[in-house]
Amino acid sequence: MTLLEVANLKVHFPVRYGLFRRSRHFIKAVEDVSFTIEAGETLGLVGESGCGKTTLGRTVVRLLEPTSGSINFEGSDLARLSRKQLRARRRGFQMIFQDPYGSLNPRMTAGESIGEAIEIHPLLAKEPATHARISELLAAVGLEPAHAQRFPDEFSGGQRQRIGIARALAVEPKLIVCDEPVSALDVSVQAQIINLLKTLQQTAGLAYLFIAHDLAVVEHMSHRVMVMYLGKIVELAEAKAIARNARHPYTQALIAAIPVIDPDSKRKRIVLPGDVPSPIHPPSGCPFHPRCPMAQFPRCKTEVPALRQVTTGHWAACHFA
Amino acid sequence: MPLLEIKNLKVDFFSNGARLRAIDDVSLTMDAGETVCLVGESGCGKSVTALSIARLIPSPPAHYPAGEILLDKRDVLKMSNSELRGIRGAMVSYVFQEPGASLNPVFQIGSQIKEMLKLHRPKDATREEVLRLLALVGLPDPELRMANYPFEMSGGMQQRVMIAMALAAQPRLLVADEPTTALDVTIQAQILDLLKHLRNELGMAILLITHNLGIVGDMADRVAVMYAGQIVELAQAREMLRRPLHPYTKALIGSVPKLTDGQQRLTSIPGTVPSLGAFPPGCRFYPRCPSARPKCATTMPELVEIEKERWVRCLYAEPNP
Repeated sequence: MTLLEVANLKVHFPVRYGLFRRSRHFIKAVEDVSFTIEAGETLGLVGESGCGKTTLGRTVVRLLEPTSGSINFEGSDLARLSRKQLRARRRGFQMIFQDPYGSLNPRMTAGESIGEAIEIHPLLAKEPATHARISELLAAVGLEPAHAQRFPDEFSGGQRQRIGIARALAVEPKLIVCDEPVSALDVSVQAQIINLLKTLQQTAGLAYLFIAHDLAVVEHMSHRVMVMYLGKIVELAEAKAIARNARHPYTQALIAAIPVIDPDSKRKRIVLPGDVPSPIHPPSGCPFHPRCPMAQFPRCKTEVPALRQVTTGHWAACHFA
Repeated sequence: MPLLEIKNLKVDFFSNGARLRAIDDVSLTMDAGETVCLVGESGCGKSVTALSIARLIPSPPAHYPAGEILLDKRDVLKMSNSELRGIRGAMVSYVFQEPGASLNPVFQIGSQIKEMLKLHRPKDATREEVLRLLALVGLPDPELRMANYPFEMSGGMQQRVMIAMALAAQPRLLVADEPTTALDVTIQAQILDLLKHLRNELGMAILLITHNLGIVGDMADRVAVMYAGQIVELAQAREMLRRPLHPYTKALIGSVPKLTDGQQRLTSIPGTVPSLGAFPPGCRFYPRCPSARPKCATTMPELVEIEKERWVRCLYAEPNP
């Protein structure tokens, strides 16, 4: 069953300058993005800084306003709901942030932070946030009931991320947008949180939009993976297909750039030249053509490649995929 | 003859009247032209060890109660301030994690590199030498770029400038402290390639500090794994990554998601890294160790050479058959 259907989503930010602060340019952070998430599925979203992955994640839960397009979640278009209607719908979708230090109120105990989510929610407000419920949530994320009395500064980074997850779980959502949930954590703790998120998915049937810059982490977590470059989806496929048989040259380069632990691995290295171009003035044609080792001219410079199905369920935006 | 010989180094910090031991009995040697990786999670003491080589931590608060750091046979810990100035840059140079924070924002990068040359090689403090250094680190359009301010450059370019500055005094040892952690993965691949190229070209030794085991596989000749202020395993990189002997190293390698290993569960390490001053008695990894035995709680293991060039700090580690 399709839980979320995003169609032709665009998010543009005006760049204002000059005497009258007129906006003459737009940063096209998200440009014509469409995808679906099934109930209980993890869709991974990977890309480098500035590719628009965080903007996309925040727009899906409408922390940012879309410029155009639709976000269908369980039958209603989130892009068109009023603030009041949206608040009621938010029970279905929650978010976990990267920085577990910045996303908890330092003056509230862990129990108060988690209880607040239950108490302020219109549909849940009648049920008081009982100790039993908070203890249950803490136990679900691997913490002790006694932790409810402590303040955020008394926890380690991994424990704080667990509190962030408990807070998101408190309203029993169906979808959680996870924006770089493990990139601020040490590797040993990162593995704990990844395992916890997988366990919760199995027990509560959660769907995730899992955003990260580390392709290995995304591939490990996700059923399907979506790769973004300069605001556009360049490839979308099953996680295994992305890891073993990437079709877009950018995805291939991303994979080749990950340093591997195995000293005997014989994979080819592709080192991309240059930096990601500015999203204010994206390159003409295929946005990846200035860095692409396979680019052919003039086609790649003039013709924008469409995201097309290369094999069943495997989409790529490249003329030569 | 080794270029660097750290012998039984101990480093203490004074904090609120308490004396906290950050580095406990670390010994490490490096030959000229060798690449050694120092690996560990946050707070394990890898940066303190690296910064101590040129005495970059002011004392107080740092205090060196025991040990020697022999750089080309001379003990850095016994040097006067003017002797230290002589080795900083010329013998050992540093590249740090955040290039944006290390460069001076109000000077053009060309003049910042020239300042290094004026201090260390006054005769060569010319525009030509600055251009040569910028070309050496692969900065595109060095003629144009030398007039740039740091904010006009991307993170990858800033890191290239930092490396050019570090090379200006022609050091024999380059200490790179998480040089690619703040960079995107495609840019990380560029910088790692550059470091390899420079090592081969200039014959420098590189001490590379990282938390990323993939980078170890890619770069290191030898590797030292640190945990809670101590080296727990020291070995040839290939050997250690193929068959780690210390339980912490094993767990660390198991907790990294690898791209093609499917979605098997990660071996996470329970608990968190103990904080400074709260190290457990006995083996410091004991409370989190999957193969701990009663004796581990009371007896601190020594770092022993259990095979040729294979040092492990574990009471029960055995050489592989």
